[in-house]
Amino acid sequence: MKLRRIEGDLWEIPREGRMRVPGRVYSAGPPAPDDPALQQVANVAHLPGILRFSLAMPDIHWGYGFPIGGVAAMDAEHGAVSPGGVGYDINCGVRVLTTSLEEEDVRARLHAITAQLYRDIPTGVGASRAIPRLSDDELDEVLASGARWAVRRGFAAASDDAERCEEGGRLSGADPSEVSARARARGADQLGTLGSGNHFLELDRIAEVYDPAVAEAFGLVPGRVALQIHSGSRGLGYQVCDEFIAEIAARGGEFGDDYAHLPDPQLAAAPIASALGQRYLGAMQAAANFAWANRQVMTGLAVRALLHALRISERDLGARVLYDVCHNVAKLEEHEVDGAARRVLVHRKGATRCFGPGDPRVPAPYRAAGQPVLIPGDMGRYSYVLAGTARAMTDTFGSSCHGAGRLLSRGEALRRGRGRSIARELAARGIEVIARGKKTLAEEMSEAYKDVAQVVAVMDGAGISRLVARLEPMGVIKG
Amino acid sequence: MRLALPQPFEDLGHTADVGVRVRGATAEEALARLVLAFATLASGGAGVAAEREERVAVQGGPGHAGSAVALLRELLYRLATEGLVPAACEVLRVDAAGAEAIVAFGRRDPVRHAEGADVKAVTWHVARLEREDGGWVAQAVFDV
Repeated sequence: MKLRRIEGDLWEIPREGRMRVPGRVYSAGPPAPDDPALQQVANVAHLPGILRFSLAMPDIHWGYGFPIGGVAAMDAEHGAVSPGGVGYDINCGVRVLTTSLEEEDVRARLHAITAQLYRDIPTGVGASRAIPRLSDDELDEVLASGARWAVRRGFAAASDDAERCEEGGRLSGADPSEVSARARARGADQLGTLGSGNHFLELDRIAEVYDPAVAEAFGLVPGRVALQIHSGSRGLGYQVCDEFIAEIAARGGEFGDDYAHLPDPQLAAAPIASALGQRYLGAMQAAANFAWANRQVMTGLAVRALLHALRISERDLGARVLYDVCHNVAKLEEHEVDGAARRVLVHRKGATRCFGPGDPRVPAPYRAAGQPVLIPGDMGRYSYVLAGTARAMTDTFGSSCHGAGRLLSRGEALRRGRGRSIARELAARGIEVIARGKKTLAEEMSEAYKDVAQVVAVMDGAGISRLVARLEPMGVIKG
Repeated sequence: MRLALPQPFEDLGHTADVGVRVRGATAEEALARLVLAFATLASGGAGVAAEREERVAVQGGPGHAGSAVALLRELLYRLATEGLVPAACEVLRVDAAGAEAIVAFGRRDPVRHAEGADVKAVTWHVARLEREDGGWVAQAVFDV
């Protein structure tokens, strides 16, 4: 793979063959030319209607179709939508809650608190029944209303939780009628469950603040405790993506040569304006709303678990949603392209929206600072909160990285974890971790991930998002 | 040819998910091994006791690989909604139009199969079912 340095940590994959645009990759140091993720960046550049660049954030790693960490903006009238460019776990995302708790309040009862969270929030393979199974009518409400459905039912830290989510915790184009019976069967009893793999719920201490003014606007106080929840649309989102990729793969020939001859079948795409493209967007947005409702129900369950474990009042807990961001989504947004405002469909596959200061799409309390950008790291080191910038709006369609990015395959992580107790190693460093499976801890150990400090430093250095604060784990639950 | 667990497979070393490659003398044998590789991932390599046998037929394509993906997608749906894990498999037919197999299913046991992966999707990325070196090769990447 040919690469040329543009500036600093930004590298370009020159346009060649049927690529419509060049690739642009943010990377801490030169990218490895044989990394299969770079070929995926080039492959995405073949999609009809892609504008400016096929982008990759510094947490880039080998995915399927799109690389993880990929961003592609398509012309909304003449471009393509690719379900694989959103991914199976539609609106997998992360939210951070701030609290009034001081580190020492939690440290003294860390095991009891972590155990209570683990008891109250179902985790692991096929986790279900956090709340009673939803009827079809209730599921329709969830798919249409997102986080607001859960807030209305009392699963909340505060009444304005949904307003503190990207898009207000709800995509308005959702069409529940496009969510199949099979997708409903996979999701109906999974609302309020964490799932497995890299999903987690984590108690963090706010370890360091880099920008006091912005941290204050975000409610981040050094020494206080925050809560992170990372999960998505569970089986429902997977089934939606699975069915639409299969349908588009079967009908790809209907949309002409540009759609029939993409370099990876996982990139299967339909014109945004086609009936099939619109059906997918309706179903995908409904699944995104399910994910927001899922994180919102878990927010309510986590708040109740903390109140119970600490025997304190809601007022003393002082839990507030800081923000909630999507990692896997395609959204219609307005961006300036070549000097003119254009409506584009931005695919973010393992990437985070990061709109800059003054943007009306950022909630009012944060508008002067820029959108909060929540970047989880790994369970043994740290996570970061950043803020969006004006530069992101001109360079990356308002997008930033989404996490550390995997470094080792799961098999290699398991080999390196053999004979070790990851839980004991973390405990020795003051981190209480409870997981459904021992294998999960080995697969998710710190060495399996890039150092997220280096990843966010690339974004900060490039001016795409600015460092605000670092969070360090105290208690972790995993699937 | 009816094949039962365990069967050998290669790990493709995919970074975020799990990719597997298998081989067979025929397309049917290779696909049966791919089905059982999927079962091994889901069960964590622990045994699966067959409880019932079922004929599973799917429409497929594009190509043999698309039909392989279609069969795996169907089996994954059974796993996700009913907890069914293939214990043995005989692929009766696979071509560009679809696949048909007799699958002996067991149940995923939360204790016995605790080390199994949460296989969430069958991707189309680098999916193969094609002739190679005088035999057939099949591979798939699973989202876990």
